[in-house]
Amino acid sequence: MAGSIDLHKISRFANLAIPSTAALAFLGGHFVSFYFHFLTVTFLLLTIINIFYLFIQKKHTILRNFGILGQARYIIESIGPEMRQYLFANDTEERPFNRIERSEIYRKSKGIDSASSFGSQLNFDNAEIKIRHSMYPIDRENIKQYALTFGEERGVKEPYTIHKPYIISAMSYGALGENAIRALSRGARLAGIAMNTGEGGIPKYHMAEGGELIFQMGTAKFGVRNDDSSLNTEKLKKLCAEPTIKMVEIKLSQGAKPGKGGLLPKEKITPEISTLRGVPMGQDVVSPAHHIECTCKKTTVAFIKNVQDACTIPVGIKLCLGKISDFHEIVLEMKAQDTFPDFIAIDGAEGGTGAAPKAFMDGYGMPLMPSLYAVNDILVREGVRNKLKIIAAGKLINSSKQFIALALGADAIYSARGFMLSIGCIQAMLCGNNTCPVGITTHDPSLQKGLIVQEKAKRVANYVHGLEHDFYEMLAAAGIKDTKNININQLYIPKDTALAGQINELQQKAPTPSA
Amino acid sequence: MKPTAQIISWILQLTIITLLAPAAYAKLTAHPDAVALFTTLEMEPAGRYIIGFLEAATCALLLNPNSAVHGAILSLGIMIGALIAHLSKIGFDNMFYFSLILIITSSAIIYLRRKQIKSIARMLN
Ligand SMILES: Cc1cc2nc3c(=O)[nH]c(=O)nc-3n(C[C@H](O)[C@H](O)[C@H](O)COP(=O)(O)O)c2cc1C
Repeated sequence: MAGSIDLHKISRFANLAIPSTAALAFLGGHFVSFYFHFLTVTFLLLTIINIFYLFIQKKHTILRNFGILGQARYIIESIGPEMRQYLFANDTEERPFNRIERSEIYRKSKGIDSASSFGSQLNFDNAEIKIRHSMYPIDRENIKQYALTFGEERGVKEPYTIHKPYIISAMSYGALGENAIRALSRGARLAGIAMNTGEGGIPKYHMAEGGELIFQMGTAKFGVRNDDSSLNTEKLKKLCAEPTIKMVEIKLSQGAKPGKGGLLPKEKITPEISTLRGVPMGQDVVSPAHHIECTCKKTTVAFIKNVQDACTIPVGIKLCLGKISDFHEIVLEMKAQDTFPDFIAIDGAEGGTGAAPKAFMDGYGMPLMPSLYAVNDILVREGVRNKLKIIAAGKLINSSKQFIALALGADAIYSARGFMLSIGCIQAMLCGNNTCPVGITTHDPSLQKGLIVQEKAKRVANYVHGLEHDFYEMLAAAGIKDTKNININQLYIPKDTALAGQINELQQKAPTPSA
Repeated sequence: MKPTAQIISWILQLTIITLLAPAAYAKLTAHPDAVALFTTLEMEPAGRYIIGFLEAATCALLLNPNSAVHGAILSLGIMIGALIAHLSKIGFDNMFYFSLILIITSSAIIYLRRKQIKSIARMLN
């Protein structure tokens, strides 16, 4: 509290001034005009609050030391993120997404041209992966339309083909409110892309909009569980028979909290969510860290097989990479059991979440780019890359990032927060508090009111349209006729990047699994 | 809030409303007693309307669980004012006890619903 303003002195003055004003106002009210008593009462109440802060409550040092003026600190602190965002932050320094990245999405979503002037604000010295264009760009008309069919390798009864490389990544009803879910799924339908339901049980609001869905089975298996959180095959079959459910995703782990189960804070559990998930109200819902069936590589692959046998649609898995050797081992096990998921979604540690313990969000898991390279590399080495598709997730919110992921081996792109931004997310970082100011991650009707489903659905479609436009332009510039031919030679990878380190490591010694 | 606390709070809220709504009505419709009172306080008629309006607002706030705690704070303020009026200008009468009861009930509601005072709740958890 040093500096030219002595807050301690000021607050001592305030703590005396408040009751004194009350006394003066009382005199005024008594001798001059009764109207002064409006002030008397106000300052009397302030005095009472101040007495409580200074002498009664024991939890807050600042309030006990400074009284009511100390409260200003809490108020300022609570609006700090907004202040920094609006007033003090550089265009490139905010995280997870800086202002440049966000405004590109906002512009795409509103259908505004995203051409910029003068030059890039990014760093070109050492740490940015760039894409190599061709000396001989081609015409867009010569590029083959993107198409990807899940389940074709295994010959499933109802394979699923997508025609745009984008899928809205898992976000449950629960993490998101009703309006946001509806806006996203209506938008996905308008844009002609699929949406993952997240681990929120029967995806009532996702289904309500009639778009194509990937049902996510979290570790608690909400919607398809028995009481001990094992799989209820009957319930799964019934759900998969829904015409809108096109694929199933078994969630093994998630980038923001790998090694931990999903978390829905109690603030966000409404009566409806408690019934949809079959959980009690008033306490946080914590999903188990792993599927009860999956305790080792054998049981995990067997579980994938079980689910595949129960459904006639493609079944994949989602995971965040930890130990590369773990992944290598499970691939060997897949070969041994001749069971492959129809897709593997790789979620980078930089992935988002509605709520996760800070230590996990910041400290656990491998980032996307090196993971993606490692996964693709292992699958190629083991000769099974053609058995499945890879979907990549983790801050892939703009066309160049997405292109890089495709070049590293991904077949399709998952994005969660990109689509949140497209429906108006301002990165207030309050997803776990039920107080999202733009009505996306909240169930508070007064906050959801501002999110007009029809309007925001259009934004989703515009965003996809903008991404797709860039995608084909980039292919043309790189001289690539078929999206299947995007590969790592397309990338300029500076030596100091995490990706370069990973590539080096894998090329020098192919990790031998310990088993 | 626990269900019992909720029930108690609602009983107290309704108590205040039953006591305060007629008082507000009397002031806003210029009942002779109210006019006499505010003449003593030399606040006739503006003060009478202001207080009547605040009392009516209090009742409205108390009817909604989301705003009840603010209604209680308002009623506490008005009644402290009333108490001052009785102690300094009017003298003891039934109305003195009336305001005392409302002060106690309002404080109780504030206590029961303290977590709903947003600016404070943010700090206390
Ligand atoms: C609000 C929110 C809710 C999420 N809910 C889930 C979920 O239920 N299941 C899951 O596997 N991932 C969930 N995720 C993670 C995303 O699906 C995705 O893997 C991750 O955010 C990376 O993509 P992004 O960087 O484009 O956001 C959630 C993310 C956010 C931001």
